[in-house]
Amino acid sequence: MALFPISSNFEDDFVLQLVPVDTENTMDEVAEACAVHSLNRRVAPREGKILRVRRSSDGTVFPRDMKLGEAGLMPTETVDIIFSDV
Amino acid sequence: MTILNQAEWYDISRQTTWTPKYVKEEELFPEEMSGARGIPLEKWAAYDEPYKVIYSDYVNTQREKDAGAYSVKAALERANFVDEADQGWVSTLKAHYGAIAVAEYAASTGEARMARFSKAPGNRNMATFGMLDEVRHGQIQLYFPHEYTERDRQWDWAHKAYHTNEWGAIAARHMFDDMMMTRDAISVAIMLTFAFETGFTNMQFLALASDAAEGGDHTFASLISSIQTDEARHAQQGGPALKILLENGKKEDAQRLIDVAFWRSWKLFSVLTGPMMDYYTPAEHRSQSFKEFMQEWIIGQFERQMQDIGLDTPWYWDEFIRALDETHHGMHLGVWYWRPTVWWNPSAGVTPDDRDWLEEKYPGWNSTWGKSWDVIIDNLANGRPELTGPATLPMICNMSNIPIVGTPGDGWNVVDYPLEYEGRLYHFGSEPDRWIFEQEPERYKGHLNFIDRFLAGMIQPADLMGGLQYMGLAPGEIGDDAHNYAWMAAYQKEAAE
Repeated sequence: MALFPISSNFEDDFVLQLVPVDTENTMDEVAEACAVHSLNRRVAPREGKILRVRRSSDGTVFPRDMKLGEAGLMPTETVDIIFSDV
Repeated sequence: MTILNQAEWYDISRQTTWTPKYVKEEELFPEEMSGARGIPLEKWAAYDEPYKVIYSDYVNTQREKDAGAYSVKAALERANFVDEADQGWVSTLKAHYGAIAVAEYAASTGEARMARFSKAPGNRNMATFGMLDEVRHGQIQLYFPHEYTERDRQWDWAHKAYHTNEWGAIAARHMFDDMMMTRDAISVAIMLTFAFETGFTNMQFLALASDAAEGGDHTFASLISSIQTDEARHAQQGGPALKILLENGKKEDAQRLIDVAFWRSWKLFSVLTGPMMDYYTPAEHRSQSFKEFMQEWIIGQFERQMQDIGLDTPWYWDEFIRALDETHHGMHLGVWYWRPTVWWNPSAGVTPDDRDWLEEKYPGWNSTWGKSWDVIIDNLANGRPELTGPATLPMICNMSNIPIVGTPGDGWNVVDYPLEYEGRLYHFGSEPDRWIFEQEPERYKGHLNFIDRFLAGMIQPADLMGGLQYMGLAPGEIGDDAHNYAWMAAYQKEAAE
């Protein structure tokens, strides 16, 4: 368990933001933490969509239950938080 | 005794090069200060400055300029313009003075470096006057806002801003340190006077003078027009230096210095002047949009100058043209959203009428930037103001030191430009920002941007209050909406219906 800063690039938002998460967080929890700083602040929710976490550098969409600590990200690395059907 | 015409003796009087006998040439002109790049002393004698100025004429002219600006100020002092002016314009003034005044004073150091260390006698002569110009600009732009300091503490930031770690001040310091405080004389001539001043100060000083006159702020209009007449002269130092570099096989070096300085200047102006022109200045007083002004006054002129000298437009030119539709809208939204972190009160500038103007000037604005503002407006209209302010920090570019932004909504295209260098992950807001770092990584790698400092534990407590304290923003100085959200009236009426 360790605090881990990431750079959140939230779909439809205009800016990258620093979001503190934890290596034990699942990707769904990471998406939720990022949503706090974009969704309903500058981004309108989308009916029926879920949020997925994607590595910005290579486009890999991480499994929803994968722990952040297993993803091989560097501290402050940018992830895209995208609206998805599945 | 016959008095010669100035043209007959000017060249002799400013030809102050001599052959040193007691020290070597490289001791008189150390390379790291002179930047002669191996071009011999006699070649620099060919430097041909377009303005031939002598001290007595300079002093007379400057005295008249000062007398003009100060007399307008004195005549209008009782009119209390700022008390009646739109608060968006007041914010423009506060942002301008804080971002510009002390940097002008610092610029006298860059001019002094050319005055002492340039191997070109003409450059040394012009820079002597340039140095005096910059002292004048620093003093006059501190004196004019000083009378307002009794109104509120934000005015004090005319002097205070550069002495703090406020994020915008860090960004401006990083850029000016890079191009005028820590470069050799010839690099200063090219980066500061050619790329920054010829390229961009027209923007701040002509565009804002025009908007000021339109809005009735004749004191500010006369002040910055007075400054611009000096800029127009001392900005001419880079051109002749570039000519000598090109004649002596140094085109690649010259091109690189311009490409670096032009992009760095653009990014700073996108966060400073872009919001002022398209959002803070009341719509009825805007003479041109930021993009229109850039196209008319910066792009055409700069392209012509580059061509005349024999240089190319920077390699990122297409990206620069594209960014004119984008970057400053993101900077504005970011500054407004993180408004407690600036020393002025950002004007939202998004009433229904403003949005019509923005859509006309920037087609697609409503389906991109407008969508972000729709959510903000909905929150303000429905009693959720806590969602319209920051709960974390934006990621900051490791070159420009301003937020990493892109287009939101239907045109979503936000991208990070990362670089791993010696085990550290850097983030950049654009390809050119990253490219600048890659030109001289040793020069830039040690700098910590605001996020780096936050993560290093230098900002305590690690929250908004700690951040504001670190930035030197005391109560009464932190920014809030310029119009106290009065612009929401039209939307609230709409919501009530």
